[in-house]
Amino acid sequence: MEATVLSSWVLAEFATPDSLVDATRQMREKGFQGMDTYSPYPLHGGSEALGLPPSRVPFIALCGGLTGLVTALAMQTWMNTIDYPLNIGGRPLLSLPAWVPITFELSVLFAAFGIFFGLLGLSRLPQPYHPVFESDAFRSASTHGYWLSVPQATGQDANAVMDQLKSLGATQVTLVTGENE
Amino acid sequence: MAQTAITAPLDPLEPRHLVAPHHDDASLNETLLDHVWRKPGKGWFMLFGMTLSALGLLVIGVTYTLARGIGVWGNNQPVGWAFDIINFVWWVGIGHAGTLISAILLLFQQKWRTSINRFAEAMTLFAVMCAGLFPLLHTGRPWFAFWLFPYPSTLGAWPQFRSPLVWDVFAISTYLTVSALFWFVGLIPDLAALRDSSKTKAQRVIYGLFALGWRGSGRHWHNYKIAYLLLAGLSTPLVVSVHTIVSFDFAVSLLPGWHATIFPPYFVAGAVFSGFAMVITLIVPARKYLGLRDVITDRHLENMNKVILATGLIVSYGYMMEHFIAWYSQNQYELWTFYVNRATGPYAGVYWLMIACNVITPNIFWFRKCRTSIPIMWVASIMVNIGMWCERFIIIVTSLSQDFLPSSWGIYAPTWVDWSIYIGTLGLFGTLFLLFLKFVPAVAVSEVKELQLELKHAAAHNGHDTHGAH
Repeated sequence: MEATVLSSWVLAEFATPDSLVDATRQMREKGFQGMDTYSPYPLHGGSEALGLPPSRVPFIALCGGLTGLVTALAMQTWMNTIDYPLNIGGRPLLSLPAWVPITFELSVLFAAFGIFFGLLGLSRLPQPYHPVFESDAFRSASTHGYWLSVPQATGQDANAVMDQLKSLGATQVTLVTGENE
Repeated sequence: MAQTAITAPLDPLEPRHLVAPHHDDASLNETLLDHVWRKPGKGWFMLFGMTLSALGLLVIGVTYTLARGIGVWGNNQPVGWAFDIINFVWWVGIGHAGTLISAILLLFQQKWRTSINRFAEAMTLFAVMCAGLFPLLHTGRPWFAFWLFPYPSTLGAWPQFRSPLVWDVFAISTYLTVSALFWFVGLIPDLAALRDSSKTKAQRVIYGLFALGWRGSGRHWHNYKIAYLLLAGLSTPLVVSVHTIVSFDFAVSLLPGWHATIFPPYFVAGAVFSGFAMVITLIVPARKYLGLRDVITDRHLENMNKVILATGLIVSYGYMMEHFIAWYSQNQYELWTFYVNRATGPYAGVYWLMIACNVITPNIFWFRKCRTSIPIMWVASIMVNIGMWCERFIIIVTSLSQDFLPSSWGIYAPTWVDWSIYIGTLGLFGTLFLLFLKFVPAVAVSEVKELQLELKHAAAHNGHDTHGAH
């Protein structure tokens, strides 16, 4: 599906991280789906308020680490025992203890790649453009602002959402529209 | 109330005054991002000029080496490893404090790390880059360095995986890669903050590119927190393994003075020791000129000095063990190396300088007055760096210059090319560091803000209000 969907978000700014977390939880209890919070640092209780399932990063890291482990062992065994055997003072060709350092290093390396690319993949980064950037006030989200976005609100619906957010203590609310993917 | 809280002894597990209490998120932005937006002053340009000149020496030294071959260096039989390996091990060791501060202290939930980790990680990256240069040049033909990696060669030959030198290749390249990833992941939120507080379009675009479109989304933070913690968890055994493997370069040989089982832990402790010393050397002037005293407090410096004391004692223990085992084995070559050659031989001056710097100097940190005095700690940190360099010199040069057969003994002296490459890497390190201070926040802004909030919560929980007196 290459089609672009025109969607819109209601953005609301809150004064403190705690009021943002509270508002998020209450909005979710009201049945709003697909909300997101934006803050300059991770919110305490933010993931719970959004109702997110456990992160898949650890699983990806484990897979990466195991891939590295198997790759390193197979590589060293194949290269130094089978394809290009080297007799160094009669030492065994399959010298597992000597394989340990490289096996460890490659496991760590692959796990780290798993974590890094897993993080980017799960977060769909890099993403230089996102509709929320249309709002100038939203730039505070990375420095000192605490924002909540409620997606797919249009017309009348949007006004109702904005009113609800204001009643939960939002200091300012705006509507942004844009193309999402 | 706040005054008494500041003077009252702090619970070491719940330290409170890690950030000066009068800051909120907006003012922290201003303090911590200010040095990026501010035009660099005269001092910065003067330093930059100095480090660039030193970098010039590196260019000259490397060009001359490549043109004439490594015969222009002082090392020859019997001292085949000299300045290049000394400097390699020294730089790798310096790099270790960065990972240690970032990773191990994160895992131990030592909150005081927050203000210094960015700084220390940058140091790691640049130190490892300097370190990597030496083995590369030492190969003599660096343009064939890819032979060290297992690539499908038409020659049908594979690397020899039983060799500690190949282990080194994997250890150092993994270390550099993982440190870079860790550093970059930690930087992403701050790059976004820079993007959003930038004043010109060009800045916004450039920082925006590096920030990858980070917008502080709760869904992203959800993965980010665990990813960062896992990277820290991986870096911790990595840092230990890297210097262990570096020590294997020596320890798996049979040379007197190298063939010691104490080497891996003692090398790791030495690395942490010199690394923390380098952090102090750099952070003392930087916090002054960047105006970061509110976040890098005297308490941070004192804690680092305690680490220097602890690791200094471990290093001293390592020396004692080497001497003890030499005596206990009654092996005449070991006895010669430790009790005659090192202490009274041609390099005795370097040996006693090492003892003075590494064994005696850190002990001044038993005294609170020395731990908290800026001039004393700064001088001491430089002495520790010199001492650790001397240690690598002693290990490598004394053992190689006089080993089993007196007929094959020889004296080593560095040439001007050796010195210019060494000073040149100091220049490279300094140049990269000054650029880092210019373009990237030296303190992890988002982490400091998070810590600030946590501390406020903790204070509220304990019935204190950190804003009470303000």
